[in-house]
Amino acid sequence: MSGFEFSQEPLDPAQLAAGLADVAAGGYASFEGWVRNENEGREVRRLDYQAFEELAIKEGGRIVAEAIRRFGVRGARCVHRLGELELGELAVWVGVSSGHRAEAFAACRYIIDEVKHRVPIWKKEHYLDGDSGWVNCERCAEAAGAHHGHPHHHAEPVPVYDYSRQVALKEVGPAGQRRLAAASVVVVGAGGLGCPVLSYLAGAGVGTLHVVDGDVVEASNLHRQPLYSLADAGRGKAESAAERLRALNPGITIEPHALRLTASNAAGLVSLGDVIVDCSDNFTTKFLVNDAAVLAGKPAVLASVYQYEGQLQVARPDAGGSCLRCLWPEATRDGLVGNCAESGVLGPVPAVLGSLQAMEVLKLLLGLPGQLHDEVVVIDLLSLDQYRLRAPRAAGCAGGRCNRITGLSTQASAAGLEIETTLDAAEADGYCIVDLREPDEVSRMPIAAENRAWPLARLLDEGPASLDPARRYLLVCSHGVRSLAAASHLRAAGIPRVFSLAGGLVRQPRREDTRA
Amino acid sequence: MPRVRLKYYALLREQSGCSEESIESGAVDAAGLYEELAARHGFSLAREQLKVAINAEFADWSRPLADGDEVVFIPPVAGG
Repeated sequence: MSGFEFSQEPLDPAQLAAGLADVAAGGYASFEGWVRNENEGREVRRLDYQAFEELAIKEGGRIVAEAIRRFGVRGARCVHRLGELELGELAVWVGVSSGHRAEAFAACRYIIDEVKHRVPIWKKEHYLDGDSGWVNCERCAEAAGAHHGHPHHHAEPVPVYDYSRQVALKEVGPAGQRRLAAASVVVVGAGGLGCPVLSYLAGAGVGTLHVVDGDVVEASNLHRQPLYSLADAGRGKAESAAERLRALNPGITIEPHALRLTASNAAGLVSLGDVIVDCSDNFTTKFLVNDAAVLAGKPAVLASVYQYEGQLQVARPDAGGSCLRCLWPEATRDGLVGNCAESGVLGPVPAVLGSLQAMEVLKLLLGLPGQLHDEVVVIDLLSLDQYRLRAPRAAGCAGGRCNRITGLSTQASAAGLEIETTLDAAEADGYCIVDLREPDEVSRMPIAAENRAWPLARLLDEGPASLDPARRYLLVCSHGVRSLAAASHLRAAGIPRVFSLAGGLVRQPRREDTRA
Repeated sequence: MPRVRLKYYALLREQSGCSEESIESGAVDAAGLYEELAARHGFSLAREQLKVAINAEFADWSRPLADGDEVVFIPPVAGG
């Protein structure tokens, strides 16, 4: 059956729609063009349609095939009447069946616009006053290079999402595009890694993206997180990212989850995706993503960056592969080695690693060759050295199980270690405030309270011997990650009254604010 | 003594002040090599917190060193 046909007989939309019936299609959209009673102020009584049939059928067929290819829809067809039609009669019908509604609407619109524009069909209008005239508004007028001089509004070229550049890859094609449209991916963290991951997966037409991030946009994020603008500062990242991604590609579903991944919600969130992408900035979350994915038997694409370097790994519990715990058996290192907030990072570093994560997700979803498996990629973006290191599965793991994962837990519990307070209140309460930031951080954002400057490495080294077990200490850093790790370490070393300022200095009210 | 080529990442790069160097080591295995380097460069990370890869493959710390080995020390990183 050709995608484009003419009919001398009246059209039956129900019968035409039935011709596109397809149990794999989740949606169907159609357009019907009817004979109207007016054109350019003249009352119309009936119409005659004529066409250069041989050429019109070829061109119409091309348009329908283009629509199927461009939008990845399952079926499409257009039928145009010829001959005499009365007012209100169905003159042209377009139908599209598709996995998703947005593509169905877009393809339908594309076909009718292109048919009106490119297919040689003329209509003779018979006016109420007895006069008649041939009209071929778009094609003939354009061919003649003339203004067609009537006031009705032509559809602007519709901005429709176009996957043609990736569908053109023979490994992708319409079938690959449909696989992407049917896929769901959970992205944990919408920061430096998450921004490119989300942008490229949305761009590729992954049908559903879950964005998990409990943070708000900060001005200091913007240099490496191009989904956000300065005006977003203070807004939730999940919602801001969802808004940008929907604008980028309205044809897919974006589900924002404005929360932090925890031991209690991880399994539920991981169950939403076919692939999980770890774009978080701390070990606790990375291990939680890894463990939840392994327990669910789903692939997890993990990456981390540090200053000018990055690491990339794909955990494949679904294919008997190694996971993050084969590489790093212990999870409690937060605060002891740096993250972006503390160590600094150049924007393109997470951009490169995030783009590699997006690429690995697409390789997985499309079944492309070269997928990372039992390997870790280590990249130094200063020297441009790249190592692809074999990381085989730890002995003792078998099948889809990792014998280091028994259940989901955040290993370093903050309970009893963190306190929510202000520096003023802590000072008044008799805490000795210890600032364990590096000197350059302190000079950028000095704190007003009386404090002892004791950078992390030195504190961990000297603290056990020199802190007074009878005193209460409040450890502070910029985000509360290092201070929590240090408090945990010092407690274990026998200093009982060491606490960490929850949320760090960035969460403290400014002095001016508290006085106002 | 075997001559080995070393690559440092993350904190180790910062603390050693270089991203790679070539040295002759008196150590017999990767663990001994790290202890030797930790003493020289003042590395603060314990060996248990690191991975070592020799000639593009993760290796046990007890792996003997051979002349011409390329040894990469990799600390875990968490930034995102």
